Amino acid sequence: MLPGFLAVGVIATLVLIVGPAIYAVSLSFYDAPSLTSEPVWVGFAKYGELLVSAEFWNALRNGFVYAGLAIFLQVVLGIGFALLLNQRFFGRTLLRGLAFLPYLLPTVIAVLTFKWMVDGSLGIVTITMADLGLPPIYWFETETASMISVIMISVWLWTPFVTTTFLAGLQTVPQQLYEAARVDGAGPVRRFFHVTLPSLRPILTVIILLRSVWMFNKFDVIWLTTQGGPLGATEHLPILSYRKAFALYDIGSGAAVATLSFLVLMVAVTLYFLLFPMEKAK
Amino acid sequence: MSGTKIAGRAGVYIAAVVLAVYSAFPIYWMIASSLRPTQEMLMNPTLIPTKITFDYYYSLLAQTDYPRQFLNSLIVALATVALTMVLSVMIAYGVTRQRIRGKQMIIGGMLYAYMFPPLLLAIPLYAMFTRIGLNDTLLSLVISHLTITMPLGVWFLWGFFKTMPFELEEAAMVDGCTRLGAFLRVVLPLSVPGLVTVAIFAFLLSWTDYTFALVMIGSDANKTVPLGLASMVGAFDLRWGDVMAGSTLIALPLFAAFVMLSRYFVQGLTAGAVKG
Repeated sequence: MLPGFLAVGVIATLVLIVGPAIYAVSLSFYDAPSLTSEPVWVGFAKYGELLVSAEFWNALRNGFVYAGLAIFLQVVLGIGFALLLNQRFFGRTLLRGLAFLPYLLPTVIAVLTFKWMVDGSLGIVTITMADLGLPPIYWFETETASMISVIMISVWLWTPFVTTTFLAGLQTVPQQLYEAARVDGAGPVRRFFHVTLPSLRPILTVIILLRSVWMFNKFDVIWLTTQGGPLGATEHLPILSYRKAFALYDIGSGAAVATLSFLVLMVAVTLYFLLFPMEKAK
Repeated sequence: MSGTKIAGRAGVYIAAVVLAVYSAFPIYWMIASSLRPTQEMLMNPTLIPTKITFDYYYSLLAQTDYPRQFLNSLIVALATVALTMVLSVMIAYGVTRQRIRGKQMIIGGMLYAYMFPPLLLAIPLYAMFTRIGLNDTLLSLVISHLTITMPLGVWFLWGFFKTMPFELEEAAMVDGCTRLGAFLRVVLPLSVPGLVTVAIFAFLLSWTDYTFALVMIGSDANKTVPLGLASMVGAFDLRWGDVMAGSTLIALPLFAAFVMLSRYFVQGLTAGAVKG
């Protein structure tokens, strides 16, 4: 029975993941204007074109800006929310539930609700800002505002992941450590930096790693919000890859962008492991 | 109570209110907008709808493809959950109990599968489906969702089965069970919390997916709700009431499930390997 189980597993993994990944990399060496036409071997030509193009470097830079800022805000806010939700107060259980809700929403809904709230004439944010005498913000029309918009939506959606994971971690920190720190005269700030953070370092290392990988690969928020615009201001590697493969019908280039973005991520993750070695799981 | 203590308590409650508004207001506004009469929406809207109407729900269900898309989403998500469960249980159990070389590679490979950009899998899968004529089918969507949910399931259940003592199955086998019998009667029932967690996250991933659906599905008849809602905004003049009604309908089952199963959600999150 066990060998049978494993055989099914290995076959499923090969068919679903390993095979397609290898196929994707091999597609990046071909020129194929459609999926039915005969592909032509072009070697590293697609990579060469990409590496000298401004759009590739623009997408790479945007990807780092988007992922970097979104992760930073998620982690800082997430830890802050977790510390708050760890206090005793009336309605804490309800608030823990509310704070988790955004995480359950499909990206599409978060984006549509955001678009509705900032709608040019009827959106609640637009109306409120006008009532307060503030100048209107063109959320998707200017380069900075559109980057801020996609980051805001991403932070709202995925901060609950950090909050909940960190909150669960907080409950594992031995209370005696806090008592000891208190006896030694440490205030709340010092207790946080000298007890909480060191105790939760392994959890934090994993949270940041997972969130970085996901944010770097995240396609749907930006596609649904700005499609990479205006003028490429929010175009990152996943958008570039999709645009090449499915809008410009250059499958080879699309696959090459996806392969390059995987390589960038591998290098980043390897560096991360060198800087913050994973402690052995308990 | 001292002055600083009272100030501290007040600070906690102010922060709690800020967090509640930040997290819940957009969701509240989505639901409120779906229930508000049109003329109220076009004027300065009040915070609470003055009159409740189900018009948008009616027009959404009666005049658009939404019911069909909802059914498509449900079929895809349930099929994804079922296949994920079977495959990941088999692999995870096999890996923890069989002595073979290279099993670290299988588990390690599952972790690396997380780092694949979705498009690194979507492009070749789409190409393969086109060649074998499976493109633009619900099945193609189920297969592509499995590329994310299966590694997740294996990774999670591997940790779960690993901690389960061998002696339990051995005792059952001494009592005359076959290995399959011991597995079905002893191991699986004890794994229910782990199985529920994997099922929830597989459902969540499949139910909320937009990226794979965008690549795989072309025809209106096979669209899932996320794809259908997104194209609704692009297509006509903006019918925000309908869009918010559709959004509410797809979000509410998730909230209900969360209330019932919140224990498992937290367990799954802290296991560290879930939805991106």
